[in-house]
Amino acid sequence: MTVPAQKPVRKLSMKQRYSALTHDLDWTPTYVTEEQVFPHTTFEGIKVHDWSKWDDPFRLTVEAYNKYQAEKDRRLYAVLDGFAQSQGQLGLTDARYMNAMKIFLQGIPIHEYDAHRNFAYLARYANGPGARFAALCQSLDELRHAQTEIHTLSHYNKHFDGMHDWHKWSDRVWYLSVPKSFFEDALTAGPFEWLIAIGFSFEYLLTNLLFVPFMSGAAFNGDLPTMTFGFSAQSDESRHMTLGLEAIKFMLEQDEDNLPIVQDWLDKWFWRGYRLISLVAGMMDYMLPKRVMSWKEAFELYFEEQMLGGLFKDLEYYGIKPPRHVDWAIGEKEILSHQVYWILYQYSHAAAFSTTIPDAEDQAWLEQAYPETWPVYRDTVWNKAQRVMDEGGRYFNPGLPQLCTVCQIPMGFTEPGDPLTQCQRQSVYEGERYDFCSDGCQWIFDREPVKYRQSWLPVHQIFQGNCGGPTLPDVAAWYGLQPGDGAEYLGSPDHQNWLAWHGQAPQEG
Amino acid sequence: MAVKAMYDYDWPSRSAAEFYGDDQLVHVWFRGNVFFVSAQTFRFPKAMPFGELVGLCKGFFAADPDFVPDAMDSANWKVDGQPITPDLDRSLEENGVGHKSLVEFTL
Repeated sequence: MTVPAQKPVRKLSMKQRYSALTHDLDWTPTYVTEEQVFPHTTFEGIKVHDWSKWDDPFRLTVEAYNKYQAEKDRRLYAVLDGFAQSQGQLGLTDARYMNAMKIFLQGIPIHEYDAHRNFAYLARYANGPGARFAALCQSLDELRHAQTEIHTLSHYNKHFDGMHDWHKWSDRVWYLSVPKSFFEDALTAGPFEWLIAIGFSFEYLLTNLLFVPFMSGAAFNGDLPTMTFGFSAQSDESRHMTLGLEAIKFMLEQDEDNLPIVQDWLDKWFWRGYRLISLVAGMMDYMLPKRVMSWKEAFELYFEEQMLGGLFKDLEYYGIKPPRHVDWAIGEKEILSHQVYWILYQYSHAAAFSTTIPDAEDQAWLEQAYPETWPVYRDTVWNKAQRVMDEGGRYFNPGLPQLCTVCQIPMGFTEPGDPLTQCQRQSVYEGERYDFCSDGCQWIFDREPVKYRQSWLPVHQIFQGNCGGPTLPDVAAWYGLQPGDGAEYLGSPDHQNWLAWHGQAPQEG
Repeated sequence: MAVKAMYDYDWPSRSAAEFYGDDQLVHVWFRGNVFFVSAQTFRFPKAMPFGELVGLCKGFFAADPDFVPDAMDSANWKVDGQPITPDLDRSLEENGVGHKSLVEFTL
């Protein structure tokens, strides 16, 4: 008997395999029109002639994605377990450090989940298979990030205040309306604007400013779980950056009429994102016991050098200009963190993080990092806050701040070149006045006033009686704040516990 | 510019005057003082005399230990950027203060 020689099984190359499992699963509808299957990709005015030109440089398949991500998650959870078993929280630089992580946990995971939802929507509603598949991967990433962030920080909840009700707070508390309004603004835009808002402006233009200081900050301050989460997420982030860049290039290459629309979105979302991450500026310069670099240095390196000096040189080819109002942002790099932390300091009695006056070591660092501007704020506000403290008080603002209608941050930012005069901008639309912290936010409102006049501004909502009542205890109860969550750090339960854990006498509270 | 949408996009303001009845929101800005990090928003009756606002300010801004309340009596005032000499017995409304107006003073 002769056995016929078996034909060798032809193995597909990686590229063929990717193509077979993604692009080749696409088909052209015949019973319905393309417009009926993908009804959401024309109303924004973006013209696309050939969806097959959307390239996915990573060429991942679902199988490969699952394999890599499962391995990464296993490593992360092993670190989290080890940290919990060894009481790793005792090895942090200081309990004060946790305040930065509280803002992160309260403000970000829920919006990772939002991003997951909208990328899942794109994975269905984008016309091209390349775009759909890339969106599917990012959708899964964002869901994993929401989960891993919550798991990463859940151990700390057993030992520190300010973490127990992050989900409720993210919906209600005044400073968390800043990220909430940012992401909901993007979610309620069309799919192409979403891609420029989140995919490009947030994930590409500003991501290093957000991510690198945060994760290096964690590493410097003994926060192993956050650092490990950061490294775990980093390989996803590089994929997201690529998707963001691919999205903008795709739109610009498809039709030259897309350029002014894309430029407008870029201008808007640069400013939205920049105002959002001003919280990171305050955190970097004031909330980390051990600092990595100053906000100013990070801004110069990750934004001015890498983005303005690199990325925008490449995009010039398509006719893209640096974002509108970028000079305003550059002008603020010396003062931004001072102003943001001063806002946080005077309203932390209504917050789920605590603040304190920079101590002598902090002040020395601030002085060398900001030789021109730190002395201005030290002399006008911090010395006075210290006097109040020395007399047995603690300065909290007794009222409610005027909020910017667009970014929703208390209007504590100042006029360019004048660090002591707050910037005031107003627009009148259909007989009603609206307030803004800057030319950037005013410009965004004036483009789409009907969108932003719906802003759920926490201060206005309190005055309308929608937040539990008129007094601070009423609002704090409605927020779900408990004693110890906010206010002054020195003498707080976190501070007292920290001293007790390290065998030091409790301070006079 | 109209919001690009798949339908006629038109939604009302969430801060409109009608939500506050006989009151209105007023922003009070102590210009040149950053100890109060921003202008402050209050809900005041439209019929409240301007003098009452001055009195409230004397108490409110005393959270700044260097604040001299009596200095308010000779403050310079602006409403929405226009200099005014307030008539203390007349109402906010009669002094030109509307919903979400910016009432600014310098000492």
